[in-house]
Amino acid sequence: MELKTIGLTKKFGKKTAVNNLHLTLTNGVYGLLGANGAGKTTLMRLLCSLQTPTHGKILLDNKNILALGEDYRSLLGYLPQHFGYYPDFTALDFLLYIAALKGLNEINAYKKSKELLESVGLSAESRHKIKTFSGGMKQRLGIAQAMLNNPRILILDEPTAGLDPKERVRFRNLISAFSKDRIVILSTHIVSDVEFIAEEIIMIKSGTIVHFGKPQEITAEINGQVWECIVPTSCAEKYAAAYNTSNLRVLNDCETILRMIADHPPIANATQVPPNLEDLYLFYFKTIA
Amino acid sequence: MEKLIYFELRKLFSKRLTQTALFGILLLSVFLNVSSYQNKYAFDGKSKEETGNAAVEIDKEIAAKYEGILTDDKIKQIMSDFAPKTDLHGLNAVYLYYNALQSATFRRFADINGNWNGLRVSDVFGNEEIKIGYIDGWLTTSQNMAKILVVLSFVIITMIAPVFCGEYEGVDNIILTSKYGKTKCTAAKATASVLTAIIAAALTVAVNLTIAFAFYGKSGLDCSILFTSADFAEGFIPFNITCSTLLRYQILMAFTGAVSVTGITLLISAVSQKQIAAFIASATIYIFPIMLPITESNPLFRFIGLLPLYHAQCFSLMSIDQMHNGILYAVWAVPTAILILGAGIFVSRKIFARHQIF
Repeated sequence: MELKTIGLTKKFGKKTAVNNLHLTLTNGVYGLLGANGAGKTTLMRLLCSLQTPTHGKILLDNKNILALGEDYRSLLGYLPQHFGYYPDFTALDFLLYIAALKGLNEINAYKKSKELLESVGLSAESRHKIKTFSGGMKQRLGIAQAMLNNPRILILDEPTAGLDPKERVRFRNLISAFSKDRIVILSTHIVSDVEFIAEEIIMIKSGTIVHFGKPQEITAEINGQVWECIVPTSCAEKYAAAYNTSNLRVLNDCETILRMIADHPPIANATQVPPNLEDLYLFYFKTIA
Repeated sequence: MEKLIYFELRKLFSKRLTQTALFGILLLSVFLNVSSYQNKYAFDGKSKEETGNAAVEIDKEIAAKYEGILTDDKIKQIMSDFAPKTDLHGLNAVYLYYNALQSATFRRFADINGNWNGLRVSDVFGNEEIKIGYIDGWLTTSQNMAKILVVLSFVIITMIAPVFCGEYEGVDNIILTSKYGKTKCTAAKATASVLTAIIAAALTVAVNLTIAFAFYGKSGLDCSILFTSADFAEGFIPFNITCSTLLRYQILMAFTGAVSVTGITLLISAVSQKQIAAFIASATIYIFPIMLPITESNPLFRFIGLLPLYHAQCFSLMSIDQMHNGILYAVWAVPTAILILGAGIFVSRKIFARHQIF
């Protein structure tokens, strides 16, 4: 399966949200990284056929997704960034409703809904009304609905928003187990989530792709530019403000470890460390801003 | 598809506002009918003067005495039985009200002093055969229903306004990315809306008819609506139809009105972003014809009268024309309703399916 965008452009008036995007996605997990307003959500909506492109097209195995219609949507699972619900429906009812929309038969719908509620840790609350749910519970329900039809293309917009660390780990495991022979695209602000799950990273800025590759490949770009150094705690703030700092950890009352991105050692005792995705994210969204 | 319709119905009926609106219309039906019943007044022309249930009994007793085809002899007898025995102090006897039958007679056959005005039945009704009896109760029900059906339209608008635009508050992006989100889902929404409107109309009509049946029985259903008391004389339907025919037309138009309003509301719901906007716009379109400077005598009223407001206010529509075979012009409400509903469903489904998420 191959999902391809050709010259994909989306404009809102004079603003270009997605600009001439050429992208080829095959089975695997893709992490979409970008600052707010970078065009991530618009790209996801275009891939979900929720918006029509201003220019360009999206092809699934060389067929335009807009022409495929139901056939394309039957392969699709989508968790929007802002997820609406029916307050008086129970979690199970909501999933059964979405299952009906996705064309699952009644027996399958019930079985799959129960399974997914178990997977996202909501089986005990399956008969509770959604209006009684916390933000994290609603988000988990959103993840469950996206996976109801065993989608071949799963698009998740900020899936880990509102999840606590334990739930995030559960989510990562769920996606990892699910992703075989599928295209999974997820966007998040939590870089570590992407780092753990994604096989490929798509960095997007002002509607264009600034980086596309495996995490270890793309972080190689800043090899030799990430430094760690111990500074007096009293001076830590000053150094953090002066350099592109990705982490600040207080060791004790006197000493603080700083992780900084710079071409040259920022201070004399700085040691070079291997870059991670968070460093790269910071590098891009601070220096190319 | 059945499952989707079931869920759409659940969405519609689980809303507190829907439940309140439905309960409200049923309560209004009870209140208006009981209130009208309690306010009934009758004087037997001799000694008994009553209100409420007793008044209805007096009216029924008097009607039973004269029931059958209206003749000149019956007119003279009624004029004689209920001739004013006291000074009217300048009141025109035409407006004198003792009871339903006396009022109907005096309205047409009395002079200012309460004496026979010399008109015969054929002078007033032509060659029509007028069957008389106690019709006051059912006509009161019919009048109440005309008011209630206008309110019912607003109830239906309240219930259906969120059908499409309610989804624009966040669930639309999930619906529109699902397999049937742009096809069967929109069909299920339209079907559930029509069913909801029909259920609401059926409940309202059933409650009104049940109450009327409990209060008035079957009395007068086979009698002509032309021989009515002063309460119904002005602006009423000028055709010799029976009370049951009137009710049948009114029930039919309760449903045509309900489905027409559904068509309009679905369309507005699909183009509105907010539920309140959909409600206000639909209600405005519904009520708009009443603001047009077109009276019932204007030839244009033949078209204006077919708009949903006049399905509820059916007396105006039923007064337009009697076509061949005695069928009233009002039957055009049926194709009109189908047309409005069809257009509403078709356009709203297209708009929702093509709606883009921003």
